[in-house]
Amino acid sequence: LTLRVAFSDLIETFRAQLRDDPDVASAVAAIRALLGFLKQDRGETIQGLRNSLRDAIDTLSRVDSSVAVSSGGELFLRFISLTSLEYSDYSKCKEIMIERGEIFLTKVSLSRNKIAKLCHPFIRDGARILTHAYSRVVLRVLEAAVEAKKRFSVYVTESQPDEAGQKMAKALRTLNIPVTVILDAAVGYIMEKVDLVLVGAEGVVESGGIINKIGTNQIAVCAKAQNKPFYVVAESFKFVRLFPLNQQDVPDRFKYKADTLKTGQNLTEEHPWIDYTSPSLITLLFTDLGVLTPSAVSDELIKLYL
Amino acid sequence: MPGAAERGSELSEQIEAFAARLRRGGERPRSEDTARQTLSLLRKIVGNGRWSRAGELMDLIRTEGQRMTAAQPSETTVGNMVRRVLKVIREEYGRLHGRSEESDQQESLHKLLTSGGLSEDFRTPYPSLRANVIEAINEMLIELEGTTDNIAMQALEHIHSNEVIMTIGYSRTVEAFLKEAARKRKFQVIVAECAPFCQGHEMAVRLSKENIETTVMSDAAIFAVMSRVNKVIIGTKTILANGALIAVSGTHTLALAAKHHSTPLIVCAPMFKLSPQFPNEEDSFQKFVSPQEVLPFTEG
Repeated sequence: LTLRVAFSDLIETFRAQLRDDPDVASAVAAIRALLGFLKQDRGETIQGLRNSLRDAIDTLSRVDSSVAVSSGGELFLRFISLTSLEYSDYSKCKEIMIERGEIFLTKVSLSRNKIAKLCHPFIRDGARILTHAYSRVVLRVLEAAVEAKKRFSVYVTESQPDEAGQKMAKALRTLNIPVTVILDAAVGYIMEKVDLVLVGAEGVVESGGIINKIGTNQIAVCAKAQNKPFYVVAESFKFVRLFPLNQQDVPDRFKYKADTLKTGQNLTEEHPWIDYTSPSLITLLFTDLGVLTPSAVSDELIKLYL
Repeated sequence: MPGAAERGSELSEQIEAFAARLRRGGERPRSEDTARQTLSLLRKIVGNGRWSRAGELMDLIRTEGQRMTAAQPSETTVGNMVRRVLKVIREEYGRLHGRSEESDQQESLHKLLTSGGLSEDFRTPYPSLRANVIEAINEMLIELEGTTDNIAMQALEHIHSNEVIMTIGYSRTVEAFLKEAARKRKFQVIVAECAPFCQGHEMAVRLSKENIETTVMSDAAIFAVMSRVNKVIIGTKTILANGALIAVSGTHTLALAAKHHSTPLIVCAPMFKLSPQFPNEEDSFQKFVSPQEVLPFTEG
């Protein structure tokens, strides 16, 4: 019974964070909620802790099925394992975990600014940028470019079915950036006018490819065909231990919303929300670990998990 | 103290003279010489400069480094050497501070998860830091001397008998590479002359002195001849962070021709040419020279 109460607390913390601060990344909200869960956990062993954490992560993914929450959860589990390796005494271990967890959360909250600092020199004066859907990291990068007194214009895809592009356009207009919303189908048409493509990512997979809102793959293919650079901005906690070889390989639990999966109806009738872009189409990835080529991403993941 | 002030201003003069020489450009300086001069200047700054903490030293080197790189942005070796010295200072500080050897300085996901504190501040003074850093810079200078030989030693593994090798312009590293291979193997070399300075001619003369069968051809013939070539070996000015090269004009043509014919392209370059920059601000990498060579003022 106490476990169920703990889980409902967890979900409530997670939802509350997303409500209060619309700018926070869902992975960060997940990790903060999990840290809270850790603090009130009454277990006595690492194994017990890990099991209850795994259940907690499952619960969270049933609320929000995005890739980011899954990667945040994996990272947290890895964090627990690494810390538990260093200290054998459980209570001391737990103290260190909570302390390091707070430091980790502080660091990741700075990651968007780090990325913006790395990325804005790549935007030249007079550049025409194409972006897709609504990404808070891309917004932060463009904000930094405006602060650096660069003049540029942005094309945003409308990004159906939720019209996230309109939201992005509204946010850009408040920054006084000239923005045009285009149809998703107009990407091939507009590509010759564009200087560079800048998108965010919901997850970065082991091959160096990305998982992002549906339509990203199309944009990447058009960009490659016309020789335009395709840049991705993503924080490092979005690195996921997946290696999809094609679109079918991406697990269903990421492609469709949690509610759709719960109803259990025939998924072939449903439209997926995300797609996979292969690393050969990506020029560079800007992360808080630095500017990486797609092949460097697997190096980073190996360094963490090995 | 008048002595220190004098040394300080003399140092400042030397840095100014170095920067002026870089800015003037003129004849192409050897990258190795530039690297060596930069390191000696940096060693003098570490030795004679006024600083007591690692943090201050790093700021000092950063300011002087920025002054030197601003003089001639296309000479990336200056910036590379400054960055390497900064890394050395961080390492030496870390070692004195008692941090374990294996913890790497770079950011990584692993470090993000396991580190116990926020960023390092280099405020603790260590008297032996000065000597340690100077020793490390001396090691780097010794390393600089051996680079061409180390590269040339690998020549025999890459060049086989009766091969046709193409190169462009004049690169001392490639010259040493080919000469080393010529001692044991027989092969032909085609050199693209690389107008308008035609450094290719000098390369051809030097290679033929070692009895290597050399042909010189014009840059326009690169694509036409490529089908007969087994390998392309070139030198470069800089290697950028994404693996791209900044090299003499004509190298891009050579690379495209090689790609079209699926010919392997080998680049010989010492480590001080590796730069962490990306090719985003193209203008700063270009170096423009007077058109005097192509169209003399008398004919204008």
